Amino acid sequence: MEEQKRSKAKLVASGLIPFIFLIVMLAYIVGPGSTMIDLGVPLPELTVEKIDFVESEILVTVRNTGPIPVDVTLADVNDRIQPAAIEPDKHLERFETALVKIPFSWNEGEPYTIGLTTSDGTRFEKGVDAAAPALKPNSETVGFLLLIGTYVGVIPILIGLMWLPFIRKISQQKYIFFLALTVGLLLFLGIDAIEEALEVSSENLAGAFNGPLLIATTVLVSLFGLYYAGERLTKKSSLTKIANPYSVALMISIGIGLHNLGEGLAIGAAIGLGQVALSTFLIIGFALHNTTEGIAIAAPIAKEKTFIRKIIGLGLIAGVPAIFGTWIGSFGYSPFTSVIFLSIGAGAIFQVVIVLSKWLREYDKSFSSTPVVAGIAIGMLIMYLTGILV
Amino acid sequence: MLFVLVVTAVLTTFYFAYPNSSNANTGEKTFLSHNGAVIKTTGEVLDPVYSAQTLEFDPDKYLREFNYGRVSKLADGTTLREFTIIAEDDKMMEISPGVFYNVWTFNGTVPGPTIRATEGDLVRIHFINNGARSHTMHFHGEHPGEMDGVFEIVGAGGGQFTYEWIAGPVGVHPYHCHVMPLEEHIIHGLYGVYIVDPKDGRPQADEMVMVLNGFDTDFDTENNFYAANTIPFYYQHHPIQISTNQLIRVYVVNMVEFDPINNLHLHGNLYQYYPTGTDIVPSTFTDMITLSQTERGIMEFSYSYPGKYLFHAHKVEFSEKGWTGLFLATDKE
Repeated sequence: MEEQKRSKAKLVASGLIPFIFLIVMLAYIVGPGSTMIDLGVPLPELTVEKIDFVESEILVTVRNTGPIPVDVTLADVNDRIQPAAIEPDKHLERFETALVKIPFSWNEGEPYTIGLTTSDGTRFEKGVDAAAPALKPNSETVGFLLLIGTYVGVIPILIGLMWLPFIRKISQQKYIFFLALTVGLLLFLGIDAIEEALEVSSENLAGAFNGPLLIATTVLVSLFGLYYAGERLTKKSSLTKIANPYSVALMISIGIGLHNLGEGLAIGAAIGLGQVALSTFLIIGFALHNTTEGIAIAAPIAKEKTFIRKIIGLGLIAGVPAIFGTWIGSFGYSPFTSVIFLSIGAGAIFQVVIVLSKWLREYDKSFSSTPVVAGIAIGMLIMYLTGILV
Repeated sequence: MLFVLVVTAVLTTFYFAYPNSSNANTGEKTFLSHNGAVIKTTGEVLDPVYSAQTLEFDPDKYLREFNYGRVSKLADGTTLREFTIIAEDDKMMEISPGVFYNVWTFNGTVPGPTIRATEGDLVRIHFINNGARSHTMHFHGEHPGEMDGVFEIVGAGGGQFTYEWIAGPVGVHPYHCHVMPLEEHIIHGLYGVYIVDPKDGRPQADEMVMVLNGFDTDFDTENNFYAANTIPFYYQHHPIQISTNQLIRVYVVNMVEFDPINNLHLHGNLYQYYPTGTDIVPSTFTDMITLSQTERGIMEFSYSYPGKYLFHAHKVEFSEKGWTGLFLATDKE
């Protein structure tokens, strides 16, 4: 007993000793009185995250993304100094944001550049291609976006699910083809979500957030997190054979749901930023694109007993997030949240790809039969071709 | 464990996405901005309004301050005017509210002191360089080659040089440092005005100096601020007080770099213009002059009606970045 206690204490100590040395080293390098790391001049950095055009006023959300606190001293529109107000105050700690309100009679459809100057005279700017009034959250716009979210997310997926009876009736070989097709569709969606996240991060997210690594971390954490949860879920319910395919379909629905939340954000943000032409294409493209997501949900449950409520439920889990996406994207757009949602979505989709691949291996050990290879390839091609419309 | 991690991650996400939501609103205030816009805010105002109390450099004082030097008579009757000018280059000056810029100065200000002499006077300038870089003083006007401030580099940390010449020709001239890289030395503020009066003088007038200058605070070879006498929008908030039916004489010197031209438009009036001030007969009667680098002249006008009159660059970009001001003309009692 004594012996055991002592060895445990030793174990804890041996685990902690390296930490103590690490702390001593850090204290030596950056602690008070140390002049070792006093190199170079830290430069201020401001990132304009959002520009809203409201009645005779331009609202600018700005974040201090540099290594030091900054004071915002001046605002300008098109490089012409304008009086403005800043809330809560002009001093920004690291990563703190402020709202700059510039009284300005802007003209709809014209491009504007907003500049902010810090106390050392450095100017940071951000352009808007065409000014458009910011959407106000009232019953009319909320309803309008609800409708768009439904068109984009819910209806196409339910239409896609209507292929279920067809998939049910086909031979084993063809069924494997459809499962593989789903893998292809999902692979494409996952890559698409990552690409979208990278685009948002490079355009709107400050370098301080280290966008690509934020995306990689979020994708992998969500992938392994969901995989872990998924395995637990399927193991527990493996007594009833039926639950297994449905839980896979549920995971697919959740993954697609997160992906559609991202799509909704994209559409909402485009509407919010007044890019009407772009948002029309987004809506048509996503709607076509999303019917294929219905097939992805239908394939794993095709050989099972049909529970119509469950199937509609799955469709809604996958589709309804698009509605929330349009709301968030239009009224509370934040590049940081978009990147996070898109990355979680990608991770979720890759998790489903792994699970489906495991299934396919049960039918095709070498993963090289014609239906599997053709299914994955055609799945990706379908996505690419319908994706061009976006 | 997993649950704690998830909660932490979610809270962190929300902190980054919406960090302002926790700040309570503390009543809304209303402000009137420099261009008349009404701003309602719970926060602070960003407006280049300057109150004289916080100002290190006083454009009102500079406007009418002429330095005639320490005057003495030589044996032959010539007037000797001696000046001491000290250059420094380590000063951080608030050139617009909250914006700090490393100015390089002659006698501590941008522009340096206005040096004034009469044609034929002996001008002697004791120049001391207390900066960390080499500097000189290069005067426009007539003088011997070795007094030109180009090749006689004055070393940092207390280097000295004495410039001496007979004042001439009549007119208004700039002076500035002429050490390479020249642009860097000029844009940081090493310049000023040198006036040579005719022997018989000019008619009595309310005289003032305006140096049109700019500051490139982010070093992208474009000016961020423009002004008449350094402080953007200053005379907009502190109108220059003048009397009606009084002759006003403005010595104007353009020291703006980067932009090829500057100009000056006067409202409600026209002025007699003497390019470089070398002639005592005006060359034009106008309300608009165009000035290239170091181009300068004398403007003379008087207002018949009391009121507020704007003067500004009609290159409107410059006026929207600070080069604008007001004359307030009132009747004398």
